[in-house]
Amino acid sequence: MPKMLLYILLIGLIALLIPPALIATERSTVKKKPRVHLVQDMDNQHRYKAQQANEFFEDGRAMRPPVEGTVARNKLNDDAHFIKGLVGDEWATTFPGQIDVTVDLIHRGQNRFNIYCLPCHGEAGFGDGIIHQRAFKLVTAGVNGTTWVQPKSLHEKAIREQPIGQTFNTITNGVRTMAGYGDQVPVGDRWAIVAYVKALQRSQFAQDSDLPAGTNRSELQFEKLPEQETPDETTDDATNPQDEAEQS
Amino acid sequence: MGRYHYVFPRWTNLLLPGAIFMAMVAPLYVVYVVAYGFSPMTTDVGYAPDQVIEYSHKLHAGELGIDCRYCHNTVEYSAKASIPPTQTCMNCHTQIHKDSPKLEALRQSYEKGTPVTWTRVHDLPGYAYFNHSAHVNRGVSCVSCHGRVDRMDVVQQMQPLSMGWCLDCHRNPTENLRDPSEVTNLGWSFKGTEQELVDYHDFWQDHNNINPSQDCSTCHR
Ligand code: HEC
Ligand code: HEC
Ligand code: HEC
Ligand code: HEC
Ligand code: HEC
Ligand code: HEC
Repeated sequence: MPKMLLYILLIGLIALLIPPALIATERSTVKKKPRVHLVQDMDNQHRYKAQQANEFFEDGRAMRPPVEGTVARNKLNDDAHFIKGLVGDEWATTFPGQIDVTVDLIHRGQNRFNIYCLPCHGEAGFGDGIIHQRAFKLVTAGVNGTTWVQPKSLHEKAIREQPIGQTFNTITNGVRTMAGYGDQVPVGDRWAIVAYVKALQRSQFAQDSDLPAGTNRSELQFEKLPEQETPDETTDDATNPQDEAEQS
Repeated sequence: MGRYHYVFPRWTNLLLPGAIFMAMVAPLYVVYVVAYGFSPMTTDVGYAPDQVIEYSHKLHAGELGIDCRYCHNTVEYSAKASIPPTQTCMNCHTQIHKDSPKLEALRQSYEKGTPVTWTRVHDLPGYAYFNHSAHVNRGVSCVSCHGRVDRMDVVQQMQPLSMGWCLDCHRNPTENLRDPSEVTNLGWSFKGTEQELVDYHDFWQDHNNINPSQDCSTCHR
């Protein structure tokens, strides 16, 4: 066989190995560049999907925000008690008629609280969540102009005693440095969180009368409360619920 | 008779079997290259575009332990999980890392009311219909389809999202089922013996009466 032909054959065979090698590298590496689909098969159709960009509009959104001051059909809700926590001009002190206060509601509230509130207020509501701890470190180290106000302990006297309508409003619209969660949490779930916050508060300030009849208090084991990083102003009555229970 | 000038040399006898061999192997080769080269395992899995903001799930969802639903809050109610709006980030970042250069694009968006231009990672073709709430509320965890997002600095596509992949699970979903309250807990693992694990999966399948549809109209509507 002429040498020439042999070489061409060899080179050809080696060239055939290139595509599989490329495929293998492509499969095993992280890809940063936009995907290439050679066969398009109507993958991208002439319509816009959720959250896609559309250059036609100035702000670039294909999904148009509702025009200010308009309400979608069937979305009008003018029940101030339900959506604002207001009865007349006062904060509501009872749950609105749409909400059945049941154990299920409180469990739902716990589940939602752990998603939306726990990062800052902590699992038990003492205002010692992980975001607080990280932010506190950043403030101390002076990183990137971080400022921070400690999330309130939900067991402070002023918050324990506020009407539930006010707590509902805090969740919906926020207070001072805390942002509102009205857009993230549907209204029913916000009432569920209120119910759970109430249960949480009560759990830290249980009275003898809350015990099932016939329980001997001295036989109960109390778990130690988590220590608070910064004692709050209402120390006298807030830090040791056992004391308070004993006083009454 | 002198030597024939046009006689083929002896080695040319190999040409015919060689050509037949090639003709048999070449189609296999082409099929292999096309099947593997154009498979979504090659073109899509591992796609991890850089984003305008160096947002890290490893930090927020992993280290800080923020639940997926804090940001992807529609995942339980609707087909879309949705990328969170700027306001969600600003719940914290009006204060935390307030002046960070890494958050420049976020602040721009907040001040001007324009959206942050995140790049899509997972993208089904327009003719396929997918629904998050149908999966998440039935106990299929994010981890089955997105991998350990809570360990990724940059989100990466882990599954092919091909029709075959969807159907593999729709035909036999049992092993991907868990208590629906644990779906966003990506690090969750079952504690118990293998038999108990099998019972656990069966329990949730029976309990929620799970029987995913394989009708074309489920996903092509
Ligand atoms: C990003 C952190 C953060 C999250 C998440 C958060 N909060 Fe707060 N919250 C705060 C801070 C900070 C304050 C104190 C505000 C101040 O005093 O400036 C506060 C204050 C409060 C107060 C006291 C209001 C008052 O009248 O003084 C209540 C009640 C409260 N939060 C409830 C909630 C509930 C319920 C949730 C979950 C839906 C929640 N918070 C989620 C940070 C947070
Ligand atoms: C603090 C807010 C936040 C939390 C918490 C969060 N995400 Fe995300 N997620 C984002 C943002 C912003 C993006 C868009 C940017 C990107 O792709 O990195 C995103 C993108 C994604 C994507 C890719 C979307 C696409 O473009 O295809 C997936 C998948 C995802 N998140 C899953 C999760 C899972 C699973 C969790 C819970 C472990 C989670 N996320 C928690 C904010 C969040
Ligand atoms: C619940 C509070 C919270 C939310 C919501 C949140 N983050 Fe963060 N983020 C943090 C904390 C805390 C840090 C700082 C961690 C550290 O440095 O110790 C951080 C750090 C960052 C950093 C790194 C900044 C730097 O300079 O190192 C970026 C970028 C970032 N977040 C982007 C985002 C984006 C984008 C969103 C919205 C999708 C978001 N974050 C939502 C709490 C939050
Ligand atoms: C059964 C598989 C599956 C499960 C379970 C799943 N996803 Fe997805 N996810 C997908 C697919 C498929 C897409 C692409 C959808 C599209 O292109 O329309 C996607 C897209 C996304 C996106 C991009 C935005 C969007 O909605 O298209 C985010 C964010 C996301 N998923 C987050 C999550 C989170 C958080 C969870 C868990 C609570 C989760 N996913 C569970 C399959 C899944
Ligand atoms: C890890 C398992 C798994 C994967 C992967 C998966 N699914 Fe599903 N899917 C399920 C389960 C479980 C259900 C719920 C069935 C039920 O409710 O009985 C479901 C339900 C659905 C439904 C709702 C059906 C209805 O009756 O409304 C749609 C639509 C769907 N899947 C589409 C898809 C598509 C498209 C993909 C691929 C991108 C996919 N699924 C991948 C497990 C999976
Ligand atoms: C569980 C969801 C699901 C079901 C059920 C399903 N498909 Fe699909 N199908 C998909 C998805 C997702 C894709 C897109 C795959 C991709 O991106 O390559 C697809 C793609 C396709 C394509 C296009 C393939 C291409 O590359 O051009 C055809 C044709 C198709 N499906 C036909 C069918 C038929 C016929 C049935 C009923 C027997 C069916 N599908 C049932 C999810 C489904």
